[in-house]
Amino acid sequence: MGVTVLQPYPMPEGKSGAHIIDYLGKRLLSLGATHAGQFLVDCETFISTPQPHNGTPGRAVHVLHNSEYPASTFSIIDSGTGKQVSLVADSIFDLLMLKMTNTFTSKKQTKIESRGARFEYGDFVIKLGSVTMMEHFKGILIEIEYKSCMILAYCWEMIREMLQGFLNINVGKDFPTYFATQTIMTAMGQQQLHAKHNDLYEPTDTVKQYLEQFTNYRKHVSMHGSLSGTSGIQQPVHMSSSPVMGAAGGLVLIRS
Amino acid sequence: MDKLNCTLTAVKNLRSNVRQCFEHLADGTDGEGVEESRNKFVHDFQEKFGAINSQLREVEQLINGLQVPPTAYSLGNTAYLAQETSQDRQALYPQLVNSYKWIDKVHDHSFLAFNNLNQNTLRRSYNYCSQKRPRLPFSSFNNDPDHIDKLLSEINTPPHTSYRVFRPFGSNAVAIVTISNVLKAAIVFKGVLIEWVTVKGYDEPLEQDDLWAESRYEVFRKVQEHAHSAMLHFFSPTLPDLAVKSYVTWLNSHIKLFLEPCKRCSKYIANGLPPTWRDLRTLEPFHEECRNC
Repeated sequence: MGVTVLQPYPMPEGKSGAHIIDYLGKRLLSLGATHAGQFLVDCETFISTPQPHNGTPGRAVHVLHNSEYPASTFSIIDSGTGKQVSLVADSIFDLLMLKMTNTFTSKKQTKIESRGARFEYGDFVIKLGSVTMMEHFKGILIEIEYKSCMILAYCWEMIREMLQGFLNINVGKDFPTYFATQTIMTAMGQQQLHAKHNDLYEPTDTVKQYLEQFTNYRKHVSMHGSLSGTSGIQQPVHMSSSPVMGAAGGLVLIRS
Repeated sequence: MDKLNCTLTAVKNLRSNVRQCFEHLADGTDGEGVEESRNKFVHDFQEKFGAINSQLREVEQLINGLQVPPTAYSLGNTAYLAQETSQDRQALYPQLVNSYKWIDKVHDHSFLAFNNLNQNTLRRSYNYCSQKRPRLPFSSFNNDPDHIDKLLSEINTPPHTSYRVFRPFGSNAVAIVTISNVLKAAIVFKGVLIEWVTVKGYDEPLEQDDLWAESRYEVFRKVQEHAHSAMLHFFSPTLPDLAVKSYVTWLNSHIKLFLEPCKRCSKYIANGLPPTWRDLRTLEPFHEECRNC
């Protein structure tokens, strides 16, 4: 496990996602990378019910799975005020969420996932993911991991050079927004600048980056007004409790 | 033909008799019973001399009896030697030049090889080194355990590097060096000499019961390879303390393993690896491919 960076790939006009994925995959192979299986990251969001009346956004729980960590379920509680609490649990956590349909209901329409091919090049792992929400193609997310380094500040230049090399796009010199210096509250209640790029990297960081990107894609959709709150009786949802590494991992929906 | 053979045999006999005579003269007397042995010696010599004279006469007679042969003798292939004397036609010259060149080359190469092998610092046996310098005590092998502790604590370590010393093999120490959040290295000592180095990633376990397993990351396997060659470079049984200090300083330069681009090509990645080689003197980073060009 090492530092991972997510990079959305700007879609050029008039080209299909599959075409670009194919093109990038060929570039990677000619660079000397080897094809190493598939990957899947999915995200489902649960909204607290009943919604608060005072206009504040409801509390949301995002449940994510990452095929790189098949035995774990990642969940992030979003209070709506920008504060996030993350929890890593066994995959049985999915079943727990089913029991909580009284307080948290699933927003099925926003179930979003990124899946695609996985490449290895030296100590780099590169994943070319196509993002789909409700079977609709949304965009391309490139995940690049440098397994042997634990701190982004050390190896950002390496990752950047690598990204620029095979994506053929310009990647800014600054750290990605997720790793930017932020103001945090210390335990003593003081505000403090915190440089996240100097932290030891954790698997949760990967998942949080995915959530950040997924949220961006969803916002893009909600601008078109296609989202409405879930209403009516929630259909029971069954989730597989043992995500498998690879394309088949993740959630299986069976409607009764 | 028979006559010729007889003459040749006679010449051979003459030669061997002359030789025996001279050998006899060279041996001299045995030095005991002076008068008697002298007489015997002179008598023997006169006998041999007489034999030589008679044989000489015989040879002369035989030679006089020889006739000029009517036809040339057939001498096989050797006869051609006399016929072709022009150098160009024999094609001997280019072959000679070639073999001369070869011998010259062999001489040059063996001279260089000899010099190189003589300076070979990679040879690690103490006996070899003690040939040059008159017998030093074997201080580098049998050191008191406190010495290595003292030595490691004396090395002025940068704040980001920590050492953990323990002794799983009796008195010989193993130091686990953690360099910032970049890498861990286990240095196995034998006395004060460095015997083995294992390099692993920061997130990999490196404990005393598993000192030999290789890192699962390619970059650290490469760094370990380089660490071994540096270990041999810094090896010095006569000044072991200095060798350890310079080695640890070199190892500490890996703090910027991922941070610094290669000095030669100014790139970070070559073949999927960062610049893994650190120059032994200047500590500058290089890719493995760039370091020799």
